Amino acid sequence: MPDSLIKMITIEEGASGYDLAKTVLENLPGIPVQEVKAPGKKSASTDTAMGKKTIHLLPYKGEFLKPCPGTREYICCGYQILNLGTNCPLDCSYCILQAYINQPHLRVFSNLTEGLAQAVQRIDRQPEQIFRIGTGELTDSLAIDPITRWSERLLPLFSTRKNVVLELKTKTNQVKSLLTSNYRDRIIISWSLNSPFICLHEEKMANGLKKRLEAARQCQMEGFTLGFHFDPLVQHPGWKDEYLKTLDLMADYIDPKGVIWISLGSFRFMPGLKPIIRRRHPQTCVLDGEFVTGLDGKMRYFKPIRIDLYSYIRETLEKWHSDLGLYLCMESDDVWQRSMGWSPNNTTGLSRYLDRRVLKIFG
Amino acid sequence: MEIEKNLKPRQGVVDLPDIDDSPGPYCMSFGFEPESLIASIKNVGLINPPYLIGNEDGPYMIVAGYRRIRALKVLHYERAPCLLLRKSQFSSLDCLHLNLHDNLATRRFNEVEKGMVLSRLTSLISEDEILDRYMPLLALPSHKETLLFYVRLERELEKEIKFSLAQGQLSLQVARMLLEVGSEARGGVFDLIKKLKLNINQQRQFIDYMIDISNIKRTPILDFLKEKSFKDILEKKDMNKPQKAKALLHFLRTLRYPTLVRAEETFRKRAASLGLPEGIKVSAPPYFESPLYRLEIFFRDGKELGSKLEALKGKEGLEALGNPWEEGA
Repeated sequence: MPDSLIKMITIEEGASGYDLAKTVLENLPGIPVQEVKAPGKKSASTDTAMGKKTIHLLPYKGEFLKPCPGTREYICCGYQILNLGTNCPLDCSYCILQAYINQPHLRVFSNLTEGLAQAVQRIDRQPEQIFRIGTGELTDSLAIDPITRWSERLLPLFSTRKNVVLELKTKTNQVKSLLTSNYRDRIIISWSLNSPFICLHEEKMANGLKKRLEAARQCQMEGFTLGFHFDPLVQHPGWKDEYLKTLDLMADYIDPKGVIWISLGSFRFMPGLKPIIRRRHPQTCVLDGEFVTGLDGKMRYFKPIRIDLYSYIRETLEKWHSDLGLYLCMESDDVWQRSMGWSPNNTTGLSRYLDRRVLKIFG
Repeated sequence: MEIEKNLKPRQGVVDLPDIDDSPGPYCMSFGFEPESLIASIKNVGLINPPYLIGNEDGPYMIVAGYRRIRALKVLHYERAPCLLLRKSQFSSLDCLHLNLHDNLATRRFNEVEKGMVLSRLTSLISEDEILDRYMPLLALPSHKETLLFYVRLERELEKEIKFSLAQGQLSLQVARMLLEVGSEARGGVFDLIKKLKLNINQQRQFIDYMIDISNIKRTPILDFLKEKSFKDILEKKDMNKPQKAKALLHFLRTLRYPTLVRAEETFRKRAASLGLPEGIKVSAPPYFESPLYRLEIFFRDGKELGSKLEALKGKEGLEALGNPWEEGA
């Protein structure tokens, strides 16, 4: 995401005094700045571009570090989400953030320093718990890093704590500031991957597959631990061949021994997202599959299709390397059993499995 | 916007042919049933005179009272008492405002009428003012998206579809879906809904399937509607309308969810082939999403329960039940 695509900065009341606001302004010289009031309901945007060319700075009033809400009835991974901002400059057709279209713009929380201090207090109070923290749930972790310099604040803070790993998840190659940093320990740089077809047609504005993997290789060569996420897996014509191309490329670029985990998740969505996707991405193929209502109310592929998707990717990945920390995101016990050949049984079991991966890689 | 108190309308009696009774720019009536109003005027005469605007010698445009003028014409009145406004003294917004409050005081708007109000306001005042002030008056949330939807409803949907919506034969959700179908295919889709008298749920399902299948096949809905399979179902002589509706939806579901429908049929066949005693039923979880299947036993007393359990225990082939897509199940 070139920072030249940002055309406007809006600063909400109470946001300008913070360090991060200054950093953003410094990194976007010459971009018009407007001070605004906190938006009310009526400011809901119907702009199909979702205001992705505007950075909106605001103080965040909630907790910065929160457990991932997961989803009821399915096995979750016990992840912790660090909220740095919401919305994303990329424009993936399947993105859940489109459903939050009433809050347009790239929202960046300016009181990050204060939020991080709170988060760290919580982490330090529970030294026996391993915090697997990620910033890439409600935004891409690195896409606007050249503007926000989030990584410069996060890496020193988390790299030095023994009960934490920080995962920065991205679909870009914005790794410059990571590579110049001195911190490697307990930092995981992860890429969201998909088939070349899906990357090309459904992940607009994201970097292509090769660029992502080149950046991943660079990070690996510079000593970073890597993660990968095949989420959402999308059933599309020739999907096996298409995903195989991605897996082959991974094998070309990446040393599997430096991979902490690879997650698999099939496309799922709240029913309300469907008309939004249809309107914003009329050519999309992500809605073509056989989606049924899951136990949590979300639409998911019919179970045998999910099992087929996961089984194929697992089998292919295992041919590459037998110890990749494969896991399923938000799946049921029987789907685990049938596609992975084992099951962690529940969220606690999956959390333990992933904690063991952390201990194995970072000690 | 307030109408100034000193701009009082002039009372007058107007020849009905001098009144333009086409639904002009201030009309907010759509899909109404005139019978009760006609009956009322017939019984007690015109209680509230309509508001008209125009020059001294007409023709007059209706500001408020469109339905009353139409009713008077049906009753062959030749002239009527009216309240006359001068064009030079009342802006379009004043007129719209007057009509809006005249209606709000006496009745509830249907969804199409809400669209008419909002559509007309958008050309006269700012979006923010509509959201702040007029959406609550219409009992609508002050969301930009809602505003745009109602304006599209009024401007884009065909008259016949709007009429069905106003009459409650189409739901708002279905109207929204019809907007997404696009103008080319909308008529064809609506004709089928009407022809088969699909209920609200069936309408939603039908349009949803049509949009999905058209996207999957990369075939315009209009072309898809012309396919032989459609005609075959519609022309079946041994089926009545509800049966045709059911057959059509089943046909579309099979196209949209081939794996799921196949699994459901396989399970049904396997369950039927067990030949379970009467009053014992096995069923699959919805969409096979839960791993748990269900057994129901109906019995009159413990003795009957015991004998049914005994019969079930000795039943061969139970191991065939299970996920229908798995071999050996």
